[in-house]
Amino acid sequence: MNTLTDRYLAATLRSVPPQRRDEIATELRASIEDMIEDRADGQDGTTAEREVLTELGNPDLLAARYADRRLQLIGPTYYLVWLRLLKLLLSFIPAIVGTVVAIIDVADGNGFGAIGTGIVIALHVTVHIAFWLTLVFALIERSQPTMDLPDWTVDQLPDAPVHRDISLADTIASVVMLALTIGYLPFQHYQSWVRATNGDNIPILDPALWSFWLPALIAVLLASAVFEIVKYRIGRWSWTLFTVKALLNLAFALPVVWLALTDRLLNPALAERLSWLAEADNRNLLGAAIAVGAAVVMVWDLIDTAMKTRRQTA
Amino acid sequence: MVASLVALRRPDYGYALLQRLTGHGFPVDANTLYPLLRRLEDQGLLTSEWNTEESRPRKFYRTSDEGESMLARLLDDLAAVQTSITGLIQGVDR
Repeated sequence: MNTLTDRYLAATLRSVPPQRRDEIATELRASIEDMIEDRADGQDGTTAEREVLTELGNPDLLAARYADRRLQLIGPTYYLVWLRLLKLLLSFIPAIVGTVVAIIDVADGNGFGAIGTGIVIALHVTVHIAFWLTLVFALIERSQPTMDLPDWTVDQLPDAPVHRDISLADTIASVVMLALTIGYLPFQHYQSWVRATNGDNIPILDPALWSFWLPALIAVLLASAVFEIVKYRIGRWSWTLFTVKALLNLAFALPVVWLALTDRLLNPALAERLSWLAEADNRNLLGAAIAVGAAVVMVWDLIDTAMKTRRQTA
Repeated sequence: MVASLVALRRPDYGYALLQRLTGHGFPVDANTLYPLLRRLEDQGLLTSEWNTEESRPRKFYRTSDEGESMLARLLDDLAAVQTSITGLIQGVDR
């Protein structure tokens, strides 16, 4: 006794409540035999049996229908509540736990490795929250009495997203570029890949500039970075912002142009290593090129900004 | 479900009911109908008895009194839907 029908019945009855198993088995077997008999005309029994069982479909599905069992982890009744809670919990708990752990780690004197620990812990917390919350809701889904969920009210509506003309990505890109520029100025002083005959590093920019001009330029760049962040907070261009931007651009470009044209930008020591720079004509040419380049970049940026401002204030 | 309750005013067993319903233009899947009959019985809308006289034991279902009153309500609902739809169709046509 191990026909396909027997196997099908066994598979179906496995998960049907035991007290009704025998009754369902008798009825289902009779039904299957009826169906097979009805089709058996002209073809052999085995083919008919296969067809009938295929038509009845997955035994687990049939058993679930007999037992009135849920075939979803979380059904439509609870799905939205589950999703809302999940988003709410994940929006702050992992970040808080990760930060706290990192801070404690730093306090223990673990230095920068603490950031890695914090991130790992935050990921752990994320997985735990998702798993346990889903488990609880899956259990609620399977307990018969329906919970009294608070009804949705209009107060739950989130704020409509503020329309921004200045994107976060642009702001971050600008700030990063400014930070790299600021970082490069002291960096080239110690590491420029141009070496003197005795192996010492030759800065590209004239070290004499450190007495005033380079700190001033760094201050202007820092102000530009602050400006980018303020601009993002405001969200759109205005003519006031345009004026500040223009002043900042001029404050950076004018000194650079002037220094380049008066041959004070580059380190005179470079000429000792790069013979091309030794000739005054070539130095003037390079200075002029740098000056024109800086001026073009500045003017183009101002025109671009002016167009954006006009579009967004219109 | 309505179709089953109507059809089972005359007692019948699972497969025969399936064929009768299909013959009247209600194609039902066997894996839906059999569990449905069980559930309706649990809810008291159907009564059943085993008939062992034939070649194999068969469970005959019949619509109970409770099933009849439920059926009357469902048919009223259907009639109401039908009326609404008809009204809407005529309203659009005009």
